[in-house]
Amino acid sequence: MEARARILARIRKALKERPKALLPELPHHALPADPLDLFLRRLAENGAEGRLLDQEGALALLRELAQGLPGAAYGRGVPEGFRPLPELPPEEAPLGVSWALFAVAETGSVALSSEDGRKAQLLPPTHLVLVERERVYPTLLEAFQDHKALPSALGLHSGPSKSADIGQVMVKGVHGPGRLWVVVLT
Amino acid sequence: MRAKAKRYPKEAARLLRERPSVREAVTGATLHFERNRLRAYGEIDTEAWRERARRVKDHVLTHLDHYLELAEGRLRENGVQVHWAEGPEEAHRLLREVVARHGVRRAVKAKSMLTEELGVNPLLESLGVEVYETDLGEYLIQLLGEPPSHIVGPAIHLTLKEIQELFHGRFGTPPDAPPEALAQVARRVLREAFLTAELGISGANFLVAETGTLALMENEGNIRLSTSLPKVHVAFVGIEKLLPRLQDLALFLPLTARAATGQRLSTFVSLLQGPAREGEEGPEEVHVVLVDHGRTALLADPEAWEVLRCLRCGACLNACPVYRQTGGHPYGYVYSGPIGAVLDPGLLGLEEAYPLPYASTLCGACQEACPVKIPIPRLLLTWRHRAVEEGLAPAWERGAIGAFARVMGSPALYRLLSKALRGLPLPQELQVYLPVLKAWAEGRGPLRPSPRPFHELWKEIKEEARGG
Ligand code: SF4
Repeated sequence: MEARARILARIRKALKERPKALLPELPHHALPADPLDLFLRRLAENGAEGRLLDQEGALALLRELAQGLPGAAYGRGVPEGFRPLPELPPEEAPLGVSWALFAVAETGSVALSSEDGRKAQLLPPTHLVLVERERVYPTLLEAFQDHKALPSALGLHSGPSKSADIGQVMVKGVHGPGRLWVVVLT
Repeated sequence: MRAKAKRYPKEAARLLRERPSVREAVTGATLHFERNRLRAYGEIDTEAWRERARRVKDHVLTHLDHYLELAEGRLRENGVQVHWAEGPEEAHRLLREVVARHGVRRAVKAKSMLTEELGVNPLLESLGVEVYETDLGEYLIQLLGEPPSHIVGPAIHLTLKEIQELFHGRFGTPPDAPPEALAQVARRVLREAFLTAELGISGANFLVAETGTLALMENEGNIRLSTSLPKVHVAFVGIEKLLPRLQDLALFLPLTARAATGQRLSTFVSLLQGPAREGEEGPEEVHVVLVDHGRTALLADPEAWEVLRCLRCGACLNACPVYRQTGGHPYGYVYSGPIGAVLDPGLLGLEEAYPLPYASTLCGACQEACPVKIPIPRLLLTWRHRAVEEGLAPAWERGAIGAFARVMGSPALYRLLSKALRGLPLPQELQVYLPVLKAWAEGRGPLRPSPRPFHELWKEIKEEARGG
């Protein structure tokens, strides 16, 4: 008999006499009216830098970050207007720019889809994420309720890459970006 | 991994003697984790979260066949190739095939305790594949040739000085290089590996049945890279890792992060549905291996099955005063600390692991920390009871305890013997002659009978109280 059949048969036998446990209902959360404040606060607590900006302001920040850089890697969803630098492969780019699917206030996270790309989110040492204001969810639960049809890979990023594996000292930018900027677009 | 759990008492004593720095490093790190957990638990209605999590896990485990089949179907629809493995043999066969078919020369690995169980690294090395552990802590212990010492922080037993020496010898960094500089060196080596590996290997924190989603948590980004850059991704998933609904992740991801490191969510969470779609970056081929390796036997155990709720957060290790003394190595198997003490006997068989349930003070700190409320102290007693019943405790110990019980059960006999102990010209070091005391006496001062019996002292106190 193959492993699958054997394993399932053993499970059924083990569970035959066992009382079945019920699946609890999903919890109801008291939601903040506007999750934006909480989102920006949590981002800061996670060690990321968050801003609420209009198109103009976002472009100004982008240009400021891009000062002296030879180019950037862009996610597929990043609009033309937000690509001030020449495009570089993510392996070489000092800056990655992504377009987030949504954001979550409760945890201070941006959700990045594989449809936007993956390398630009991971390889450059600085990562700038753009997210539309309407796409900031108060809680993870609500975000998941609205996104049952997931892309092949979804990454929730909640701050810069970090590790305390060397003598319990916190080091940033270990494998992924050491700086995370999030711009919420009004 | 070959289990050495039977040797726990000897290994623990040896480690305390030979590597005193471990105790300091582990105590410091676990206390730090523990403070963070307490702060993070304080922010939420922890009792409600833990109770809900316990109930969801119990539901999945009592409907495990249903959810496994559901998950398998969804994974296939997503284009994932699903395999089932009883244990290392089938896991190895699959890896051999993948290595041969894709001409794999180099593999990058994300930290996973299950791959430790299955001995994935030695297998790949025997096939001539270069394996890179990409979690920084895991990479350090790979360089040292050591197994992980903690479920979440595999290298917490190492001091900065030891790591500086390691990197000095290996990469020629200055002997006092700061952690940032050491991390930069590791980053350079591993970045090269990410970009050239043909195979990425990971475990999974959760597998959502409803959507066929693998959920992986981390802080460094190495899991995102290991599962994104190589053209083939193989994930080994224990069959107990299932969750019913996508929304259940909204509870389990933050709860696990709070329990493990005191974060509201780990820095990176990867939710993987399958290979890259048309025009996307990502692996061309994704394999999920559903692994039993002792789990169905535990599920069938009416007294011990609750350990299968475990999320591998490590909170019980951090809370445990016994684990803090030595870290994970003396436990002799992949899972150490309180959860190891109740999981390893189930996975390995009690005969291989019977000393582990004794490695506890039964203080209950582990149960209070556990995000899924596993009754660890009760399970410790269950395994201890079985060890005695099965005659696994040494014969002289059982004989001595039997004799002790007889003496303590008879006041006359007790008086007679205690008088004899005081009256006889006994040597200073009683334990030399009483093997039953030898283990206890190691690391303690010599045992001597009290100069006066307790019942005399007690009588005196009572009389004094009456008189005064
Ligand atoms: S037993 Fe509980 S506390 Fe220990 S690792 Fe498992 S889930 Fe975490």
